[in-house]
Amino acid sequence: MSTATGTDRRPVRTSTAGGTAARRRGSRRPSAGVRVGKGVAVALLLLFTLFPAYWMLVSALDGNAGRGSSFVPAEPTLEHFEFVLTDGGFDVFLRNSLLVALTTVLISSLLALLASVAVARFRFKLRTQVLMLVLVVQMVPLEALVIPLFVQVRNLELLGTLTGLIVVYVALALPFGIWMLRGFVAAVPVELEEAAYLDGATWGRMFRSILLPLVAPGLVATSIFGFITAWNEFVFAMTLLGGETQNYTVAIGLRSFFGQHSNDWGAIMAASTVITVPVMVFFILVQRRLASGLTSGAVKG
Amino acid sequence: MTSTLPVAAPAGPGQSPGPGGRRPFGKSVLARVRPWMLLTPALLVLAVLLLWPLVRVALFSLQDYGLKEIVSGERNWIGFANFVEIFTSEQLWAVVLPNTVVFAVLSVACTVVFGTAVAVLLASLGRVWRTIVSSAIMAAWAMPAVTGTYVWVWIFDADRGVFNHVLQALGLQDAPVNWFTDRWSFYAIVLLNVVHHGFPFVAITVLAGLLGVPKELLEAAEIDGAGAWRRFFAVIVPQLKQIFAVVIILSTIWDFKIFAQVYLMPGGAGSNRDVLNLGVWSYTESFGQNRYGFGSAIAVLLTLLLLGITVVYVRTILKEEEL
Amino acid sequence: MRRDMWTRKNVGAVATAALVALGVAACGSGSDGSDGGDGTVDGEGKTLDVWIMQGTNPSADTFFDEVSTAFKEETGADLNVEFVEWADAHDRFVTSIAGNATPDVAETGTTWTPELADAGALAPLDDFVAEAGLGDDLVDGLVEAGTYDEQLYGMPWYAGVRSLVYNTEIFEKAGVEPPTTWAEIESAAEAIKAEFPDKTAIAVPGDAEFTVYPWVWGAGGDVATQDGDTWTSGLDSPEAQEGLSFWTGLAKDGYSSAGATTWRETDVLDAFAQGDVGMAVMGSWTPGAIVEANKDMEGKFAAVPIPGKDGGMSPSVLGGSHLSMFSTAEDQDLAFAFIEMMTTGDFATKWGEQAGYFPGQKSLLDETLKSTDPLVAPFAKQFVEGGASVPVSPEFGAVQAKLTTSTMMQSILSGSEDVPTASTKAAEEMTSLLNGGS
Repeated sequence: MSTATGTDRRPVRTSTAGGTAARRRGSRRPSAGVRVGKGVAVALLLLFTLFPAYWMLVSALDGNAGRGSSFVPAEPTLEHFEFVLTDGGFDVFLRNSLLVALTTVLISSLLALLASVAVARFRFKLRTQVLMLVLVVQMVPLEALVIPLFVQVRNLELLGTLTGLIVVYVALALPFGIWMLRGFVAAVPVELEEAAYLDGATWGRMFRSILLPLVAPGLVATSIFGFITAWNEFVFAMTLLGGETQNYTVAIGLRSFFGQHSNDWGAIMAASTVITVPVMVFFILVQRRLASGLTSGAVKG
Repeated sequence: MTSTLPVAAPAGPGQSPGPGGRRPFGKSVLARVRPWMLLTPALLVLAVLLLWPLVRVALFSLQDYGLKEIVSGERNWIGFANFVEIFTSEQLWAVVLPNTVVFAVLSVACTVVFGTAVAVLLASLGRVWRTIVSSAIMAAWAMPAVTGTYVWVWIFDADRGVFNHVLQALGLQDAPVNWFTDRWSFYAIVLLNVVHHGFPFVAITVLAGLLGVPKELLEAAEIDGAGAWRRFFAVIVPQLKQIFAVVIILSTIWDFKIFAQVYLMPGGAGSNRDVLNLGVWSYTESFGQNRYGFGSAIAVLLTLLLLGITVVYVRTILKEEEL
Repeated sequence: MRRDMWTRKNVGAVATAALVALGVAACGSGSDGSDGGDGTVDGEGKTLDVWIMQGTNPSADTFFDEVSTAFKEETGADLNVEFVEWADAHDRFVTSIAGNATPDVAETGTTWTPELADAGALAPLDDFVAEAGLGDDLVDGLVEAGTYDEQLYGMPWYAGVRSLVYNTEIFEKAGVEPPTTWAEIESAAEAIKAEFPDKTAIAVPGDAEFTVYPWVWGAGGDVATQDGDTWTSGLDSPEAQEGLSFWTGLAKDGYSSAGATTWRETDVLDAFAQGDVGMAVMGSWTPGAIVEANKDMEGKFAAVPIPGKDGGMSPSVLGGSHLSMFSTAEDQDLAFAFIEMMTTGDFATKWGEQAGYFPGQKSLLDETLKSTDPLVAPFAKQFVEGGASVPVSPEFGAVQAKLTTSTMMQSILSGSEDVPTASTKAAEEMTSLLNGGS
């Protein structure tokens, strides 16, 4: 395994590397036109993806935000950030959210992985039904679930606690995780597993040393999804946490911030920036993992 | 292990032969119980927190369930009256359903096509640029839907938004335009928002798939003289069938029930009747009008609609055994 | 989620009243709250859960610290105050009722009270009020809004009203005087637009129903009238249409702004605070918020009652909050002791002062009315002489939630419908909703 990832790491990029690279490059005709086109495409893509974030940041740093629009802060200042982090209480919200999101990611990834192995690797009665069920539960508009879910969490005696929130978020993240990972698990060649068995490995050992590394990219996608879900959700946070403000997460914190400073765009954008940055950091960290996960996935080729 | 790699090559996604039956080492009882052991924790969580609430929503939809019933806990069964009312509502056919369906179709198409294009672009980039661009994509993904919506609203704000300023500076319009009042421009902004937030998932997932496509297949196709387009459709797409299926199904589910991106826009919470969609309609009927039964019926309808679409998808894209 | 808007910054209906007659209780139980001497309310070891809406009073934390101390002294019970966002309040009420997790006492926006009472979630307060001898001093309009089925469910707490607020600097530079008739509003707007083409001469917001009704009433129309058990909306009457035509006509003539078509009252406040607006219909509680948003505005704006068509005043909605007791409250005497403490005496006065609302007690109100503060007096005048109430019906909440009036305004302002068409549709919808239809 490890040797495979090691040697395959680079080649993935061009997908033509190795002994035949030179020949292929010749036939590839990377004309100047193509390169310029690609450059323009990248530039436009970056503009589209980053503009909202950029605009958010500019407004957050502009003491004059809300007055007009300029592409650089007209009156650069950090006062919005100071305000958000002191009066806004976002330090506590961030800590809570981090706890909730990471726990949600861990639990939901684990449960989803186990379940996805079951549906991808085994044929059993009701398998199709289980899969459809998993799909169906996420079709209901969440807003319609507010009342029954509230009652359910109350019955579990988890109202007002972060645990209650985590449990709900795990449930929200699971269907996606199961479907996502199912594809990745299914894509792992059975021959690899069989080879492991031939080497005398148990099922558990095979799971750890073959499946787990190979589905890593899927796990990354699942984690990202779980993280976003837990980070952004506010309707359930609002109803389930109720008055336990010390347990508030960033999304509901931001929402109550909107409520109190409804048109203070500078402060709102600063608060938005504060809660967006940790997600970006998490993503970029995970993305490294994604890169190496992808290369290990490349053993298939 | 490494020695087996070349042999393993042809087993692409979707071709897994369902090894439950083929596994040579199955100890029969354990083999039969194992999938359920693996499934139980997940199913338990889903059953308690999603399935049962879903069932209750379905039960609400058959009742005249309002604040009074919530207080007293009484049941007030009215059969399918809520559904009859929905289906005879002019609003459903003229506004809500078109808004929901047309928008979902457009946004799924845009998200998937754009996301795939980006994935292909990414796959062709060098290491450095791929890292830069994919980080940017991650940044778009990372922006919470609520925050993102507010940013777009702020950009398109009629009097102070940058969009109108730029248009006026370029002389393209004389006076500020309020883009939120017109049904089409309203949903154009929503589309922009949803695609912006949704394409990273597609791009990253498809990229993962692309990088996993066996090089030998592409090489073989290239040697056979297949052009880039042909290689893409004849080799890559079939290989990524499973991934596309998941991406399309999930995007469809999400885009049909977008809520915050509409609700938080100016006029989106119900004052502009032209822009209601099923999700917002369900919510405003429930929590605004205290007609939880009626709102639940709309939610059930949306669920059934999605279910129908998904079944069609599954039938056409995948064969049952590939599920 | 939407009723939110109105209650806090917008509406409400009535305001509060005051309970004056401390200690005059005729019979024994629970009335002389203020000294607690007779020990009829013993909350030792108990905790009272209370929900208060957030954002009304910037110093609410300190305020309730003091209340808690006083309450503990008087009854021995602990107070657990939870601040709830207006935006979340309706969902929170509903889920807490469904989950049997309601507070004992909660602040309820005046149009919510009949709705919650209708659902059976609230406890009637008449007996308590009678025992405390407070009934005679409650302000009528507030009592009316808190009464459902001939019983009082909402104890009047505080109230506010909207008037015409204008930017004095803009008015001076444009050389116009505060308007006293509709014609003067129009000429003032014209002059401001001529002097400041980039500014909004008068804000005509599309998503702020309480800025609309004054013009309907001012032209002699009605929002809705009740005949027996049947409500009829008057939004499509010729008078109402005249008022609507005038108000939306200001926007048609370009005196408002394109963005205003989707503005809520908070957007109006924001734009005004930035100095971009000549005049706007705004609440008595907004001056503090304007200055807080932009210190430069201090002393640069003033208010007049909303002019009548040919002079006098156009009536404006009284808005405010009740304190209501949930029927699940375990110790109702204790709950009422808290309600009484909040709505009478020092705490009521202080809340009114801090939040910029009118206190509920008649005696305290009289004092406020004598104020000569240019940012209090015009509102006080409007409050007393030009206050009006939206239809008092448990269904009016449904009308608000349906955004019937905002829908009408937006379709007129965006030009998709004319005044007769839009107002006829709105009237039909409102009539149907008020009569329990859907």
